[in-house]
Amino acid sequence: MNDGETNNQYLLENLKERAKELECLYRVDEVLDDRRLSLPDIFRELTRVIPSGWQFPHICKARIIYENFCYQTPGVYSAFFSESSNIILGDQVVGKVEVIYAVKVDKGPEGFFLEKERKLLKTIADRIGYTILRRNMEMVLREWKTSRPSNGEKSRTSNEWMVMIDFVSRTDPGMLLYVCKQMINHLHRRGVKEAEEVLWDLGSNSRGFLGAGELNYPSEKLTLGNMDSISERTFQIASQHLSDSEITTRLRIWIQEAKDYSLIKVVDNINASVKEIVKVITRYRSITSQSNPHYSPMEHWLVVALIRRFLSGKLEFINVARQHLVIDDFYDVVIRLIFPEGSHGKVGGKSTGLFLAQQIIRKAAEEKPLLQAVKVPKTWYITTDASKEFLHYNNLEELNVQKYKEMFEIRIGYPNIIQILKNSEFPESIIKSLAMALDEFGDSPIIVRSSSLLEDQLGAAFSGKYKSLFLANQGSKRQRLDALMDAIVEVYASIYSPDSIQYRTERGLLDFKEEMGIMIQEVVGNKIGPYYLPLFAGVAFSNNEFRWSPRIEREDGLVRMVMGLGTRAVDRLSDDFPVLISPGRPGLRVNQVPEEVKRYSPKKVDVINLEKNVFETVEIASLVKEYGKFIPEAHRIFSVYQRDHIKKAMAFDMDFERDDLVVTFDGLINDTSFVKTVDLIQRNLREKLGFPVDIEFASDGSNFYLLQCRPQSFGRDNAPAAIPKDIAAQNVIFSARRYIANGIITDISHIVYVDPEEYSRLRELDDLMNVGKAVGMLNFLLPRQRFILMGPGRWGSRGDIKLGVQVSYSDINNTAALIEIAMQRSNYVPDLSFGTHFFQDLVEANIRYLPLYPDDGGVLFNRSFLTRSENILARLLPEFKYLENVVRVIDVPMVADGKILNISMNADLEEALGYLASYSGEGIPGYSEAEDKKAVKSSEPYADDRFWRWRHYMAEKVAARLDAQQFGVKNIYLFGSSNNGTAGPGSDIDLLVHFVGTPEQREELMTWFEGWSMCLAEMNYLKTGYTSEGLLDVHVVTDNDIDQKTSYAAKINAITDPALLLEMKN
Amino acid sequence: MNNNSYNPYLNAQAQFDRVAEMIGLDEATRELLRQPMKEYHFTIPVRMDDGSNKIFNGYRIQHNDARGPAKGGIRFHPQETVDTVRALSMWMTWKCAVVDIPLGGAKGGIVCDPRNLSDGEQERLCRGWVRKLAKDMGPFIDVPAPDVMTNAKHMLWMLDEFEAIHGGRFPGFITGKPVGMGGSLGRTEATGYGLIYTVREALREQGIKIENTSASIQGFGNVAQYAAQLYQELGGHVVSVCCWDNEDKTVYSFHKAEGLDGKILSEMTDAFGSIDKDKARDLGCNMQAGDAWIEQDVDILMPCAIENQITMRNVGKISKQVKIIAEGANGPVNTEADEIIRNSGIFVIPDFLANAGGVTCSYFEQVQSNNNYYWEKEDVLQKLDAKMTSAFKAVSELSGKNNIYMRDAAYVISINRVAQAVKMRGWV
Repeated sequence: MNDGETNNQYLLENLKERAKELECLYRVDEVLDDRRLSLPDIFRELTRVIPSGWQFPHICKARIIYENFCYQTPGVYSAFFSESSNIILGDQVVGKVEVIYAVKVDKGPEGFFLEKERKLLKTIADRIGYTILRRNMEMVLREWKTSRPSNGEKSRTSNEWMVMIDFVSRTDPGMLLYVCKQMINHLHRRGVKEAEEVLWDLGSNSRGFLGAGELNYPSEKLTLGNMDSISERTFQIASQHLSDSEITTRLRIWIQEAKDYSLIKVVDNINASVKEIVKVITRYRSITSQSNPHYSPMEHWLVVALIRRFLSGKLEFINVARQHLVIDDFYDVVIRLIFPEGSHGKVGGKSTGLFLAQQIIRKAAEEKPLLQAVKVPKTWYITTDASKEFLHYNNLEELNVQKYKEMFEIRIGYPNIIQILKNSEFPESIIKSLAMALDEFGDSPIIVRSSSLLEDQLGAAFSGKYKSLFLANQGSKRQRLDALMDAIVEVYASIYSPDSIQYRTERGLLDFKEEMGIMIQEVVGNKIGPYYLPLFAGVAFSNNEFRWSPRIEREDGLVRMVMGLGTRAVDRLSDDFPVLISPGRPGLRVNQVPEEVKRYSPKKVDVINLEKNVFETVEIASLVKEYGKFIPEAHRIFSVYQRDHIKKAMAFDMDFERDDLVVTFDGLINDTSFVKTVDLIQRNLREKLGFPVDIEFASDGSNFYLLQCRPQSFGRDNAPAAIPKDIAAQNVIFSARRYIANGIITDISHIVYVDPEEYSRLRELDDLMNVGKAVGMLNFLLPRQRFILMGPGRWGSRGDIKLGVQVSYSDINNTAALIEIAMQRSNYVPDLSFGTHFFQDLVEANIRYLPLYPDDGGVLFNRSFLTRSENILARLLPEFKYLENVVRVIDVPMVADGKILNISMNADLEEALGYLASYSGEGIPGYSEAEDKKAVKSSEPYADDRFWRWRHYMAEKVAARLDAQQFGVKNIYLFGSSNNGTAGPGSDIDLLVHFVGTPEQREELMTWFEGWSMCLAEMNYLKTGYTSEGLLDVHVVTDNDIDQKTSYAAKINAITDPALLLEMKN
Repeated sequence: MNNNSYNPYLNAQAQFDRVAEMIGLDEATRELLRQPMKEYHFTIPVRMDDGSNKIFNGYRIQHNDARGPAKGGIRFHPQETVDTVRALSMWMTWKCAVVDIPLGGAKGGIVCDPRNLSDGEQERLCRGWVRKLAKDMGPFIDVPAPDVMTNAKHMLWMLDEFEAIHGGRFPGFITGKPVGMGGSLGRTEATGYGLIYTVREALREQGIKIENTSASIQGFGNVAQYAAQLYQELGGHVVSVCCWDNEDKTVYSFHKAEGLDGKILSEMTDAFGSIDKDKARDLGCNMQAGDAWIEQDVDILMPCAIENQITMRNVGKISKQVKIIAEGANGPVNTEADEIIRNSGIFVIPDFLANAGGVTCSYFEQVQSNNNYYWEKEDVLQKLDAKMTSAFKAVSELSGKNNIYMRDAAYVISINRVAQAVKMRGWV
């Protein structure tokens, strides 16, 4: 027999065993459910049925012991080997089930009994216990019904509590004692004298729990024998002093509390591991089949304890979460929880956010049926301490100090750490659990998401700092498991990545004991050709920080959505555009003109390639051509573009080969409840959580899935900025109070101000157009992202040039902000465009937009600063000197004693302020929590000047080694960000070479620079993590260029930001 | 409104006065033609989505219909002024006359920003506009068309309202409809092809074989793409195309001395009119700075992007070899630079002749709609060729005969034609 056959044989045996066990369980259930049989009959029958499920049925016997009676398979006299399991009722062991081999059998690797058999036995015992409980209850119920008089509400309640006492005394003596004590306590407090007597019976020391005094010796154990008489007396007294309904109500509450008690015991025990808690929660769920509508402090306490245990210990969080969670909810987590032996971990930030959102939505769905369709994909959680355990298991604790090393060490070490971790092993128990998870996922693609303790806390969004990895999850189980473990390790490794360490350093979180939880989620989607992708996915924000119309309120929210995986919607895209919708105003779309709709529609889609087992980006056009007919609901995703027309797609009339299909989601937005659903989710979450959120979602075309929920990220870009209050009037340039978004723009060195009045006075079309031209050239000349454009009406307006400066996106793409001024004309204030002509370009490039209404009350507009400060236009662009009155270029530090312009915008306060301050962040007035607690301190990443200083230094060094004669170089200059002090970690070093040599020399020179460039790039990478082919950007100019001041030659001796002459070797 | 500010209406009148002076037009005709013959100003109440009511202002201005039903677009513009609409209606009259199509000039609009309106609100607005004008417009009175911020969607709503009021089907009421809903084939190609028809005729007059010519094109949108394709089909060589690169947010010139393939280039161009750089390099293109298109040693320059592209800054860089500038865009040459070009002897095909293919095709759409019979694309393009060719010949002949600049000749011919019509009707 070869190996393969052995293997098959083994598998077959295994399968047969499982089938036998299942069959046995079915038969057991059949017997237990047979209502015609009495309990003894049931037990007798079971002893006949049970052996069939075991490995050797013919020699296997069963025995059940209950209430001192023994039932067994005929012919059992002695046991060779046996295995037993207790039958439990309430907290009491009331009997046991035993399986016996009467003759010797072969011992297998798992002992005489298989592991599965042990489980089977336990299951059978549990089910017997449950059946006994049910039978008891039925009996009580019958008695209650028969004894109930046909009329009178009073007697009904009187019977109710009697039945309860009766039931408790039969099923759970511990509980009886508890309710008796509670009742006596209660009566005693009401001043009932007889109650005190009962107390004496309960034990001499029982005064202790009256609170009469602290005792310093252990109380005597109660003899439970006379419990029945005590309870009888107690409730007799009670019925004389209390109304029936009061007794019933109190009993109900106490019984519920007692049930919670076992849970409390475990949860409260700091030593209790996750495993134990999982066990009690599961049991709790099976006991309390229906939720109790009464408020109970005990349940409250438990929920809080569980939140603290699994979710978060932060007080603000607990405060919110406890209002929306009940104990049962935790069941969803614990049944799919993977944790190491003795774990005390949590599920981590991301999982917590999703879990809470899920429960809130589920509860809201009771009132809003639309929300019933909202699902959460199948998710498994790995506790945060599994990452710690993983290090420990592999003796890698040394990695904990990694974060305190020098940045370059961290960077160099990181690839190595990934390799070390990838070659490490998971503890056996984790592997087993992962395998179980994979069994449930089958071969659906999955995503492994980080869910660390720090993640998703207010103010530290961590977006993108820790990894999330897609897995195609194809191949054999072994391969899939390996891939999964690999992915988890990679997510673990991201704790040590330079990016995340830097991020934590910047936010002062480095000393926090970070642990990484994991969320393994099924990827929502459909198989289309070789690809797997959601039909659509995206992110939704409670607050719309990019409003494209004054009719859109900030609270109307914003959705960025794409076809395929949501990765393209989450990040800003440089080469593509997501579809934008404001759920509160779905009718107002960003793009109105058909060409624009097409231009700004998504062109690419992220997918999982199931054949290649990889994550890919593919062109939508080619996907549609090849697999269009397999795309479900395609008519809701696409519209047909025809010249001058966007046609609604009809389900059965789409030509995937020839139609120009554009992703608009028009069908989805107009003809389905999608927008309403998102809006409802957002409004519910914001209301219940108390803060604006951002959620991720995806859909396979039939269901809407919630993937993530966290506080709307307060990144540097869109944190509400503190509005400084103590700025001297002469230092304020403008203020605004309408349509404000969040954000802060710092260190503006130049203002390009197109004076609205002067602009409207221009009479010649050419002049009006030249204003746009001048702006375009200033856009090229002024330091990138360090200037702002201010002008009348509608920038980029088409159709009527008078309404605003005519520019295209390329004329403004380097500005930090675009400001439109609505200056009162004789009797009306013009509408502003909100940047709509290039709105989506602005959004993706993070160019801020701000409308100003200088004629409003309560705002400031420092016209004299803007119109009287020295204008350097003529020096920058002599040919446009004649437009000097209209276009004013202000070098802020020059006219304001070295100060620069900052703009703080706060949407919560609906306020923005542009003011002069000292350079580089220092001038931003410190803001205390008290002043504005909503404000988040911006951590201007480039505020420190080391990036440009280093570049400046290196440029000098390079020049100092340059042999001018050898290469035919007349002069060398430094310009751009490394010269003007604005360089960031990814900036180039711009060199300008005045070259006078031969072509050969030029070639040699460029080769010489090339070497430096690559070397500097590598150094920069080690310092900052930014990779590039080269760091030097060398521009060569000739005598001729300099004479004519063409291209970069204009930088030499320029008025603003002139190139700096560097010293050469000779 | 500031009296000193740029006023397009005054501009248009000044331009008219200049030409009227040139051709010695009588006072009455001048007075008649320098202002619109009819103006409609009205309000349109619209029930908004949130239940509130908003009042919009609408206009229709018919400048002249002596040569046929007035024709002109409808603009949705947030700060539309009557003077802008007046100027545009006048330009429409000249534009139809220069290609000799039997239509007059009009323009209309609604003061609104469609970006702030939902589809439903826009529909009610469109229908409201038509209700106000239903009696004063129609296939034989005044025919609207899409313009700034309006498109086929709006035209169909308007058509439907008009037909509901008049009880019948009158597809000739409006143009710019989609194919299958009363639209004409060939509209996509019309402007680009029209441009090349005039270039072809200009070359023929100069006795140059098109096969021996080369061209440099600025812009690669709809007009430029079809112009490049037809020019190449006729044997010409496109050696340089300059277009916006949306990835690098800058402009590049793609250059290939032996000639670029317009069709292949079009296939690798996205919705921004950006050509795929990598694919272009594979084709053997080299890439140059954005303004390199104007310096090429070619026979023909075709600025097909936006206004104001040839100015004093770069007019001096135009190669001595350039014989023709064909203005595919509106107003690509500014006034000062135009003066230099006029004196340099370069032959200019002025914008409103060169890009009249579009309006001609609109006229064809109306004709087809009125007959409820739609032509094949070849028929449309053939008829377009005939119209553009004869229009060009007329302008060129006048220019040659009277030794006037092509731009002036085009104005002269169109104003003449309108003046003649009003006289023959006995209006003046």
